[in-house]
Amino acid sequence: MPEKIRFTVNGDVVEMAVEHHQRLLDVLREDLALTGAKEGCGGGECGACTVLMDNEPVNACLVLAVEADGREIITIEGLARENCLDPLQEAFIEHAALQCGFCTPGMILSAKALLLRNPNPTEAEVKEALSGNLCRCTGYKSIVDAVLAAAEKQS
Amino acid sequence: MTYQTVGQSVARLDGIEKVTGEAVFVDDISLPGMLHARVLRSQRAHALITGLDVSEAMAQPGVVAVVTGRGLPRRIGACIQDMYPMAVDRVRYVGEPVAVVVAENPHQAHHALASIKVSYQDLAVVTDPWEASRPGAPQIHPDQAVYHRLPGIHPLPGSNIFHRLQVCRGNTADAFREAFLVVENRYWHPSIYHVQLEPHGAIATYHQKGGLTMYASSQAPYVVRHVICELLGLPPGRVRVIVPYVGGGFGGKSDHTIEPLLAWVARHVPGRPVKLVLTREEMACGTVIGRGALVHYRSAVSQDGMLLGVEAEVFLNGGGYGDFAVNIVTAAGISATGPYQVPNIKITAHGVYTNTPPTGACRGYGHPEVHWACERQMDIIAARLGMSPVEIRLKNALGPGKVNAIGQQMESHNGRVDLCIQQVVDALGGPECFLPRTNPCVGSIALEPGGIEADPLPHPTGANASPKAEPSGACAKPAAMPGKVRGKGIAALMKCPIMPTNAQSGAIIKLEEDGGVMVSVGAIEMGQGCHTVLAQIAAEALSLPLERVQVAPQVDTFHSPYEWQTVASHTTWAVGNAIRLAAAQLCDKITRAAAVILQVPAERLEVVGGRVQDRERPERYLTLQQLARGYTDARGTALSAPLIGEGNFVPQGLSHLDPETGQGNIAADWTFACQGAEVEVDTRTGEVTVLRLVSAMDVGKVINPVLAEGQIYGAAVQAMGAAICEGIVFDREGRIRNPSLTDYKVPGVEDMPELQALFVETPEESGPYGARGLGEHGAVCVPPAIANAIQQATGLEFFDLPVTAEKIIRAQQKRGVPA
Repeated sequence: MPEKIRFTVNGDVVEMAVEHHQRLLDVLREDLALTGAKEGCGGGECGACTVLMDNEPVNACLVLAVEADGREIITIEGLARENCLDPLQEAFIEHAALQCGFCTPGMILSAKALLLRNPNPTEAEVKEALSGNLCRCTGYKSIVDAVLAAAEKQS
Repeated sequence: MTYQTVGQSVARLDGIEKVTGEAVFVDDISLPGMLHARVLRSQRAHALITGLDVSEAMAQPGVVAVVTGRGLPRRIGACIQDMYPMAVDRVRYVGEPVAVVVAENPHQAHHALASIKVSYQDLAVVTDPWEASRPGAPQIHPDQAVYHRLPGIHPLPGSNIFHRLQVCRGNTADAFREAFLVVENRYWHPSIYHVQLEPHGAIATYHQKGGLTMYASSQAPYVVRHVICELLGLPPGRVRVIVPYVGGGFGGKSDHTIEPLLAWVARHVPGRPVKLVLTREEMACGTVIGRGALVHYRSAVSQDGMLLGVEAEVFLNGGGYGDFAVNIVTAAGISATGPYQVPNIKITAHGVYTNTPPTGACRGYGHPEVHWACERQMDIIAARLGMSPVEIRLKNALGPGKVNAIGQQMESHNGRVDLCIQQVVDALGGPECFLPRTNPCVGSIALEPGGIEADPLPHPTGANASPKAEPSGACAKPAAMPGKVRGKGIAALMKCPIMPTNAQSGAIIKLEEDGGVMVSVGAIEMGQGCHTVLAQIAAEALSLPLERVQVAPQVDTFHSPYEWQTVASHTTWAVGNAIRLAAAQLCDKITRAAAVILQVPAERLEVVGGRVQDRERPERYLTLQQLARGYTDARGTALSAPLIGEGNFVPQGLSHLDPETGQGNIAADWTFACQGAEVEVDTRTGEVTVLRLVSAMDVGKVINPVLAEGQIYGAAVQAMGAAICEGIVFDREGRIRNPSLTDYKVPGVEDMPELQALFVETPEESGPYGARGLGEHGAVCVPPAIANAIQQATGLEFFDLPVTAEKIIRAQQKRGVPA
């Protein structure tokens, strides 16, 4: 039996009926056409599907859609406001902190959650915050540099 | 030479799309009426299919078709036609496709898989390439003698060996007889996954009028097209392969993987698109894996540390099908002596069928496998002679005037491994960090016990204790904690692209109506930043600001120029050359058109800064904008036509290797490098922490320093995984025990060492602005550098990868040293 849920996605209120077994990732990608969250493993191992739920990073492949009821979801599509990139997005470009780009949306959102709760993180705190996000291209150095630079710029 | 755009760390062209989620990958594409496919995979590693009943699955809700290998017209393959896109009557590895369900949605397709009934008659299984090469091993392709294959591939009929390459120079018998020291060991590099973050995916539509359109996450759209044309009997003009952004390749999306399978499936549901995206676990067994090589290495050395001879035998795991591995065997064979001159050589490299998933290209392509052996061996030789590992490498290094294993003489523009070695040594603290090990064995010919004497099995699983270096002075860093020891190690490399002798790369540059240009290439942007680097080359060649240059991000075989495939670290070099040719042609057309309009001889005109102008009177000029759509005079009469430049490049002067000696001109260029590591080993837990990875690479002219560094950092951390934690585990039945990212650990951000990339820039004569390849090279000798550092820290010699905590603890126990 489908269940009605109501939640906010990138600032817009969404009401829809979802099946109990549907994952938040499928609802975002298939029903809402927000394909920025990627499926890299389907098991919470890679972090490519990371989105923010009430400003906390979650693996959208491990969250059921019904769990999003009443919550506020932010995906990578919702990070730039009025054609203005988020400082993290700018820093990722500036520091070449992306290569293939498949992990990038999840990586940026994990970093965003960190900076929301801790605007001035140490390098160790950045690494801890990104430890659920795998990248096979960059070797991580430029990503850590970008997050620290974005934090500095914001503060 | 000063440049405007080349040499600048400009931002990636694809940056904004990738940080906003706008960049489209295959799985982000949804087409009207699209169906979904799921694959039933063999759970047997080696068996005959005795029954296959899909009738119940056909009756499941939403199922549109269940496709099997019945009726497949022919075997496919680019080098050896030894495979069908799905099993016909026999399976050769766990994971081989047996049936495919096509349904209205992915869940329906998945659920119907359980209704398919397959019966098997099991055959004996072998997953180890050395065992599979022995007489009496289970025969995996009993009929391989009749397979169609390209010239230059040498199978041994009646065995599992599908290709054997010999490289012979000089006389090794004499060299070993006269040697002061002979060192002999066996080395093992296990199979690994590429772990591209984006799973393999494709969408195919078989058109009712005949023909096929496919979106694919592929490094090789033209190879895919060729194989599909052969499989389905279609002309190239009827098969369209489109590649959107690719989420990481590392070789594992080169040649062809799931595409022929999906083409065959789509053939059964004409008019409707079918999407297939693999799960992470399917990527482990449903595509290709990398490496998997045993190397038996024997070195003859003089008393002063000169390499006199090398005899090596390489057994590369080909897996169930050898097509993708043929040229890896060749690469391993010709590069087994590393970046050194060795006068007497006898190398035999075998590609061996086994019951594992097929081995395919994987960043480094045969080179990491043999460098693991060669570069561990160099440290062991140095220790036996009481020499520094730096000195022995510098003594034997290839360089101008020296000759490599296949008889090619190095020229001064080919690069300087000696400078790379010195840069890494300096970065790690100087030569005093690499002193000769204490109490070396000198003065007699000795057979290094290595893995062989210690372990009669073909695979060295343990380690031997050797004298430990005692670093002193400035570089002797105290370990952070008691129970922890530190060490430093280096390893050097030479890598060349292994390519067809006529590997093609094309470029088209269209002058746009604003005076900017659109560049089309067949090269795939899979993260390496090639489209940005190619835009820089085009901007430089046309004297345009970078913002006036666009590169078409999607490659489409209907209109993108031909490209062999995006592999072999050859894109900057080969496609960059094609762009320079296209730019030259466009400039020629511009000056010829302007000559008519300006009434100035074409030779006096130059294209500069978005204008074409008279060199002698620069005030006489036209803007490129005025020429783009055809110049019209005051009366409205057209004096010129729109302008497009094209360039096509093939490497010059390559030839096949001699079948007896392996000598010949197969490598168009080389990149030399050295890599160094500093590690900390916890002697109580065996845990290795890699503290630093330093790479120095002679890449010729660096086109984009930040992107070049990114390639080296990424490759180094990938290879760090192979060094200390990665390796596919097969059980006796050929099943993979670690298909998920939970059980197969890849480096995470918390494992990241301090990374450093240094460049030596010896301009490459054959490269655009002096550039040569660098994408794969950073992955080639990190494992031996780390193992050499572990040796310095612990005194333990390791011969098989990965060097895990468990192996270190076992080795310590075997040595009898208390923790």
